[in-house]
Amino acid sequence: MSRASLDEARTHTFAEAIAEAHILVTTGAGGVGKTTTAAAIGLAAARAGRRTLVLTIDPARRLAQSMGLEGLGDEPALVELGDDLPEGGELWAMMLDMQTTFDRLIDRHAGSAEEARSIKANRIYRTLSSTLSGTQEYMAMERLHELHEAGEWDLLVIDTPPTRSALDFLDAPNRMTSFLEGRLLKLLLKPGMVAGRGIGKVVGAGATAFMRVAGRVTGMDLLQDLATFFRDFEGMYDGFKQRAQEVLELLRDPGSRFVVVTSPEPPPLREAKFFLERLEQEGLHAAGVVVNRIRPEVPQDPSEAALQRAVDELERADDPEGPASAAVLRLLNDVRNLAGRQRRDVTAALYSTNVDTLVEVPLLGGDIHDLDGLGVIATTLMTGRNG
Amino acid sequence: MPETNRPAPNPAVAGFDELFSSNMLIVTGKGGVGKTTGAATLALAAVASGRRTLLVEVEGRQGFSRTFGTQPWDYTEREFRPGLWGASIDAAESVYEYLELFYGLKRMQWVMERSNALDFVTTAAPGLRDLLLVGKLYEIEQRRRPDGRRQYDLIVVDAPPTGRIIPFLQAPEGVTEIVRVGPIRRQAGQIKEMLTDPGRVQAVLVTLLEEMPVRETSEGIAALRSADIAIGPVLANQVVTPRLGPRTLQTVMALGAEGLRERVAATGARMSGRTAELALELANAHTDRVAFQAGLWAELAEGCGVPVLSLPLLTGATFDAGDLDVLADVVALQLGEDGPRATEELDEDAIAALLQRSGAEVGA
Repeated sequence: MSRASLDEARTHTFAEAIAEAHILVTTGAGGVGKTTTAAAIGLAAARAGRRTLVLTIDPARRLAQSMGLEGLGDEPALVELGDDLPEGGELWAMMLDMQTTFDRLIDRHAGSAEEARSIKANRIYRTLSSTLSGTQEYMAMERLHELHEAGEWDLLVIDTPPTRSALDFLDAPNRMTSFLEGRLLKLLLKPGMVAGRGIGKVVGAGATAFMRVAGRVTGMDLLQDLATFFRDFEGMYDGFKQRAQEVLELLRDPGSRFVVVTSPEPPPLREAKFFLERLEQEGLHAAGVVVNRIRPEVPQDPSEAALQRAVDELERADDPEGPASAAVLRLLNDVRNLAGRQRRDVTAALYSTNVDTLVEVPLLGGDIHDLDGLGVIATTLMTGRNG
Repeated sequence: MPETNRPAPNPAVAGFDELFSSNMLIVTGKGGVGKTTGAATLALAAVASGRRTLLVEVEGRQGFSRTFGTQPWDYTEREFRPGLWGASIDAAESVYEYLELFYGLKRMQWVMERSNALDFVTTAAPGLRDLLLVGKLYEIEQRRRPDGRRQYDLIVVDAPPTGRIIPFLQAPEGVTEIVRVGPIRRQAGQIKEMLTDPGRVQAVLVTLLEEMPVRETSEGIAALRSADIAIGPVLANQVVTPRLGPRTLQTVMALGAEGLRERVAATGARMSGRTAELALELANAHTDRVAFQAGLWAELAEGCGVPVLSLPLLTGATFDAGDLDVLADVVALQLGEDGPRATEELDEDAIAALLQRSGAEVGA
């Protein structure tokens, strides 16, 4: 594949991805507008005649707010769109509830209803979803897989959780299964079981010491709960592992594409770059990059020096138009500097990364909190043009 | 010409002594609002006030080392500017330190590293990872110099975002629910004592003057208050400097794009009609933005019950560590202290806007 220049990438849009993909995943640093972008993509797809479901896992319920919907639930709900949509075009939205998804997963993989009950009542299990890193991401992917299998939607758009690093997301399935596989934990809990095998006695001895310390540090209840938890989980590892594999395969399918979202500031841009590189390494498909809230480009006339001289002269004029014109020039200079800085930062961050599509969404007057605002962004994503 | 470097008439926060009245500032805010910038700014202001200051990062992002252009930070506290130390703490290191401190278990380290047992310690036990980080902050706060004074006059923490701050700070309590005996339980009580003492810990929220961040700030303040954590001032980041008010806007709109172009051309500067039209569009959007921002500023000041300090959106062609010094002095000016680097670098519009916020009326 040839490496498109950024200027060329700027001429491409998300129209094709929105018309063809079966899964679009928005990802990026916290606070860059992932949820809004996911909602706008959903709206664009519905307008393009596709039956679309937008899933969000954000606990702040921002999607509900940005769609003007309150109380979005765990089941898909139809979003009322005022305008006439083409045949088949529908927009659905849902909030992902981690615990419900995890519970369903346990029900599916547990050997018996009794075993499922025992696991769900375990203290460790109840807190796992909030503490084990990657659990949220894993559950999101799990639900995505479930909805994909159901086959009721032409396009699923999923908004990823605000992780510490966007990369956590890709590691989640592996992390989750290796944790649940818990060979090490089993070893720690029952060191005798594996003594003499593979890793050998040193670790066994270390583990015993570790358990003694852990017991003293934490109190024994915790260890008892953990032992029970892993005993109950024993028969489920294979099911989980296989499922995680299926989820990864689904994400690797060419019908699944990632939309990397960023703002024009260096830290989120750095994350966007890392994420693009990571997608390429993993054989996943990037649909492109969305840079949100960028300042409009300002022409280079008058030059900065000429502008500065004009400001000085106009400010001293003794009619009101002079100082007023100077104020406008100062503003023009502010915006031009910022716009220039932002464009340089975007170009520097994406230097030598493989970006096929780059759409810049301009900073709009207020916040996006209704369908009209989303409609403006949807148009920009589809056409590359603003307004 | 207004005298710009005079102290604000009635500063909302009375000087460095009030802003830095606790031993530790926990800086939080919605993702993307500039927590790292806010924390660095406060630390630099503290250094300018003569305080020995430690800047701490807890999420391993290396945000500060990039901003200040130093080598990556780690667990070791290092002085990277006179009077300013930096460290990036993580749970794994805390575990080693904890075990060594309480149990003399240095040899555990290699076993744990080899076996990834750390995943167990830091993730399986709910909140243990956060507890270890907060525990490390507690250890630093407790530390004394030989003469009995605290090792650092001020510790500034770039903390997790508002969505995760409560579980982070309440980790000690979370752990006591699960752990019923042992030293962790005892220590958890002492950490909570520190966190709920306004003389020792205050939370500073950073926000943008936009709807969602302002809303999340109010929610964050309410949540922190119900967790008994004292709230310091809010930092409003990237505040747009008003270049023209409604009356000036009227004047230029009456002048029109062609009038503006001619006026500018008369000074010898060349400006195309297209740029003149864009300039008027920008002027319109700008006054809307400034009005919107003023509304949110008032909402924030009224709704959260703590003073609001503004950090201006700097419009230089670049942003680097030197700009953080300017922001630190911007904070100083709003406290009624000296801020030479701000008065030097910022223009009158910016300074006037900042000082007006602390008391006087907003001009046309």
